[in-house]
Amino acid sequence: MTTFRRQGRGRPRQEKTVRFSFDGKEYAGVEGDTLASALLANGVHLVGRSFKYHRPRGILSAGSEEANALVAFDRGPGRVTLNVRATTLDLYEGLTARSQNYWPSLKFDITEINDKFSALFPAGFYNKTFMWPKSFWDWVYEPFIRRAAGLGPAPSEPDPDHYTSAYDHCEVLIVGAGPAGIAAALAASESSARVIIADEQAEFGGSLLSMPEAAIDGAPAWQWLESGLETLRSRDNVTLLPRTTVFGYYHDNFLGLAQSLTDHMSEPDPKEPRECLHKVRAAKVILATGAIERPLVFADNDLPGIMLASSAQTYLNRYGVAVGDNAAIFTTHDSAYIAAFDLSDANIRIAAIIDARATVDTRLIEEAKKRGIEVRAESVVTGAVGRFRVKRIRVNRVLASGVSAPEMIDCDTLLVCGGWTPSVHLWSHSKGTLKWKSELGAYVPDRPNENVICVGACNGEFGLKRALETGASAGGGAARLLEVKEDCGWSGEVFGALPTDRNETRIKAFVDFQNDVTAKDIKLAVREGFKSIEHVKRYTTAGMATDQGKTSNLNGLQIASNALARPVEQVGLTTFRPPYTPTTFGVLAGAQSGDTFDVTRKTPIDPWAVSAGAVFEPVSLWRRARYFPQTGEDMYAAVARECKATRESLGIFDATTLGKVEVVGPDASEFMNRMYTNPWAKLGVGRCRYGLMLREDGYIMDDGVVGRLANDRFHVTTTTGGAPRVLSMMEDYLQTEWPDLDVWLTSITEQWAVIALNGPNARKLIEPFVDGIDLSQEAFPHMAAREGRICGIETRLFRVSFSGELGFEINVPAHYGLTIWRKLYEAGREFNITPYGTETMHVLRAEKGFIIVGQDTDGTVTPDDAGMSWAIGNKKLDFVGKRSLERPDIVANGRKQLVGLLTADPNFVLEEGAQIVASPGQAIPMKMVGHVTSSYWSETLGRSIAMALVKDGRSLEGESIYVPMPGATIEAKVGSTVFYDPEGERLNVI
Amino acid sequence: MILIRCPYCDEQRPEVEFVYAGEAHISRPQNPNLLSDDEWAEYLFIRKNARGVHYERWVHAHGCARYFNAARNTVTDKILMTYKTGEPKPSVEEIAEAAK
Amino acid sequence: MSSNQHSNELTIDQGVVLAPVLTGASHEVSVVLVPERARFSLRVKPSNLKALSEASELDLPEKIGASTLASSTKILCLGPDERLVVSDVTSGGTLRRMFAELSSQISFSYADISHRNVAFEISGARAVKLLNTGCPLDLCLRAFPVGKCTRTVFEHAEITLLREGEYRFYVELWRSFAPYFVRLLEKAVKSR
Repeated sequence: MTTFRRQGRGRPRQEKTVRFSFDGKEYAGVEGDTLASALLANGVHLVGRSFKYHRPRGILSAGSEEANALVAFDRGPGRVTLNVRATTLDLYEGLTARSQNYWPSLKFDITEINDKFSALFPAGFYNKTFMWPKSFWDWVYEPFIRRAAGLGPAPSEPDPDHYTSAYDHCEVLIVGAGPAGIAAALAASESSARVIIADEQAEFGGSLLSMPEAAIDGAPAWQWLESGLETLRSRDNVTLLPRTTVFGYYHDNFLGLAQSLTDHMSEPDPKEPRECLHKVRAAKVILATGAIERPLVFADNDLPGIMLASSAQTYLNRYGVAVGDNAAIFTTHDSAYIAAFDLSDANIRIAAIIDARATVDTRLIEEAKKRGIEVRAESVVTGAVGRFRVKRIRVNRVLASGVSAPEMIDCDTLLVCGGWTPSVHLWSHSKGTLKWKSELGAYVPDRPNENVICVGACNGEFGLKRALETGASAGGGAARLLEVKEDCGWSGEVFGALPTDRNETRIKAFVDFQNDVTAKDIKLAVREGFKSIEHVKRYTTAGMATDQGKTSNLNGLQIASNALARPVEQVGLTTFRPPYTPTTFGVLAGAQSGDTFDVTRKTPIDPWAVSAGAVFEPVSLWRRARYFPQTGEDMYAAVARECKATRESLGIFDATTLGKVEVVGPDASEFMNRMYTNPWAKLGVGRCRYGLMLREDGYIMDDGVVGRLANDRFHVTTTTGGAPRVLSMMEDYLQTEWPDLDVWLTSITEQWAVIALNGPNARKLIEPFVDGIDLSQEAFPHMAAREGRICGIETRLFRVSFSGELGFEINVPAHYGLTIWRKLYEAGREFNITPYGTETMHVLRAEKGFIIVGQDTDGTVTPDDAGMSWAIGNKKLDFVGKRSLERPDIVANGRKQLVGLLTADPNFVLEEGAQIVASPGQAIPMKMVGHVTSSYWSETLGRSIAMALVKDGRSLEGESIYVPMPGATIEAKVGSTVFYDPEGERLNVI
Repeated sequence: MILIRCPYCDEQRPEVEFVYAGEAHISRPQNPNLLSDDEWAEYLFIRKNARGVHYERWVHAHGCARYFNAARNTVTDKILMTYKTGEPKPSVEEIAEAAK
Repeated sequence: MSSNQHSNELTIDQGVVLAPVLTGASHEVSVVLVPERARFSLRVKPSNLKALSEASELDLPEKIGASTLASSTKILCLGPDERLVVSDVTSGGTLRRMFAELSSQISFSYADISHRNVAFEISGARAVKLLNTGCPLDLCLRAFPVGKCTRTVFEHAEITLLREGEYRFYVELWRSFAPYFVRLLEKAVKSR
């Protein structure tokens, strides 16, 4: 096999051979290579197919701007990463990668036919074509597009890796460890300031790594780099982050950094995280992100073997790899000459330098002549020929009118350079403004929006000397003039579209390689009336997706500007968006996956419920026991049993999740009066009352039982899900409307475990355990609250009932919750004590017509709608929501009211959420008059029960309404919401 | 994630500690019963939705738990100044001064 | 049956277990679950602070973020009118009786939140790094000196954070959030 390694070239390294596999074939590379450099060293240029036309593609660049060489990186099952740039993939022993976008093989791709019929696939093709007939979308178009297009198949297995993240803080964050970034870091870290310097590559040095000849202060630049990095490493205040991409720049100098930790390792420790997300808050940011070389736009400029000139230079000088044997150069900029000279000096034949410019620096011409390189000024490449690799190019001279006849030149590589584009992506994320610099043909940073400064090439300051100077000065260093020796010329012209003698409608000159957008597409978009560059971008897809226009933006802009006959600076620039390069979902999720995806709040009694075989359900962040199935039981059987046992003897229920707020202070009852609809002033100490809370717009917000423990102390309960918003609304009124009140609110939800006992034997169970409270019916009536002891531990004991049975809610300090629950449960065996969950709790309360806020109400239900006008303290002058109860819409007729429903067929359980109509025979669409809010099988009543919100529902008592369901329309009778024990006698069992 | 200066803590703190709480300087009427339906609707529902400087409320929910006021530019999303509940609405000049 | 008989059989359960990886004697970082403590949320308007401080003989810190640390009692000022008092269980009883008595003389509020929170001590050279895996605050000594306290967040959990030494932090959070917090710490420590 031919090798393209050049001895004596490249960064000094141990020549350790590593084996890797690409498209199933084994190759050898050298440690320190990227996948791209290793493939090139093996003479492999064809590495993939393009996105839309499935054209053969090679390696365009040597960095993260790569738009062609996107591969599937395979680290084993569940570990396939798509669209990885071969140019950024560090080689290791056993690395496996595959090319993408072909079927059945890379060299024989049936879908390449897209290319032949490309007249069918112009810009906006999908938008225009797949419009009609509509049904074809589901059956024909979408499946076809999904198979033919796309950037590789999404993985189907869960991600087996784990990721980590951290908040970092620093005084100075430097993005990019090229010469400018390192100079900035050296200067900034001389004080005690915390400095973070990050670079996307494994090795720090940036462009310096491709410049073996450069010298700084008389010494080789690589030596300056070595000692500079050593200094940085020795400083405690400096953090060096290699393989770290700063992918996004957010408000107030908050930046996202994705650090790759194990992807470059042959056998990573499975305990190690794969990547780390650094969420950095920096006092100051220095952007030293460099510049990206621009390709040239001509026919078939996407053939493998066509590559950016500086990248060929990088492959040679950094990796010791020749990209070909016979290279032609096509340029509009001086820098490509230096690349040509470097290649020539490494014994690569230079077929010719084709320069579109009329005049070229004579010093460059001289240097070329010395090496015997032919320079063709005022000439352009108008085509490239070859199947999977460029074989020859078509060259024309530019004439006063048009171009000359073409001449063919043989080459196996064509190096292109259309100038340089400063990498202003991050600057733009930060909302810094840009200005057009016509001599560079590029936008450069103008006014910052954050404490940020751009240095070196990303600021349009080209050359090593300027990089070092601007870097050091941004880092706060003293201005010291360095003596710098460098080869590079930094002059060039920008052409955008190049002249050609060919029919432009018949050629494909690519602007955006990744999205397969040609110059023709952009011109078409303009012809079709898209004048804003943002619209051109969306219509053609140029500069979109993972590439973010790194190599294509300015060429596309130039072409649009020509087509619109308006200067570039008036055409504007599209918006750069994070991420700068593709970022894994894994690293963004960090530790927020698996069992720490979110908080799961568990009550103190949860371990008991687990051991009792409970089935759980999430209620806001809590997990609650839903029911306790015994062997062979489904939910319905379990709930029927739990309901029956509770009504007949004794049920035990974990009510800990109820929100609880302690309202304390001399003005506590005044505050309660203002927050709740009910009157509180006359509620005696030791008494409870059901409280109803409205929003200021008059709709029900929350409810719960409130106990008065002392004149100045209320124990307020809320719904489970409503607890945070109730407390926050209370605090809002207290702090901002009534700061004069002497009252304070404390969340005590988690202070107390709450054990609810319901059933005729509830009192009998707790009597032996309670000290200091007379539990008799007279001393401790329904809706009483007492403080005392249970099992020797302090308790707030409430006699309340959400089931209609004799009930107690036993509040005990949370850390004792489990142990007291166990004790009561053991003692309750003689009463057939039955644990029940939220499902049974729902049925028991529905049998009694008690509402659940958020189920029987939906944010548009007033107290009157819910049949709860009794809860309003009519004598009170004001409370939150009172005035709204007089609003015209709320006093109008025709509101939906909460009613009970009994189906004509007692065995039929209605669907919650089902719509209700007044008569069954209507034409479709029927007029809907309400919906079912709660519906259950009631074991106690031996039939189904339901509640519903129905228009003017209370006036329909005794009448039938209808619930159309698939297959049948169900008849039900409107009645009271109280289905069981309407007199409330069950509460008074002795 | 923006930084917000809590006027009670007197510190810049990350946005995740705060919760937005709507437009500022809308006081609950002393006696709502005296308001016409239109006046009450105005208080309940009508908001400025300003382009540019917007006076709004935040609460340092995961900090000192205080509600406070902020002047924020809704175009740039920059919080220009923050001040305690009950303090008068600052003028445009005072905001410009504070934003420095 | 006497109540003592009952309570003798009762066990305290703070609802959280620390993995060995956290409690291990690593000099880099260790996490310790603080045993049961008495806690009160003490609320008083600034105008009454001095009176309450004097009457209770508690050195109530004045400024948000300030704390006073005595051997048996920590007092953290978390808001303009809010202090968190943490003491051992025995002193807790004394404090409660005193607060009850004082509440008839001074306008203030106290609420027992002993079991609402659980606490951890996080110490070691990597304590800051560990905390910063979920807490967005700058915890360098300049920005967060010894003695400073605040409520803040750790991923999706609210925490109360107090720095007791250069390498020693005290963290409190609501009981039901503790297992989530501990699991996150465990993941972070495991992945270094």
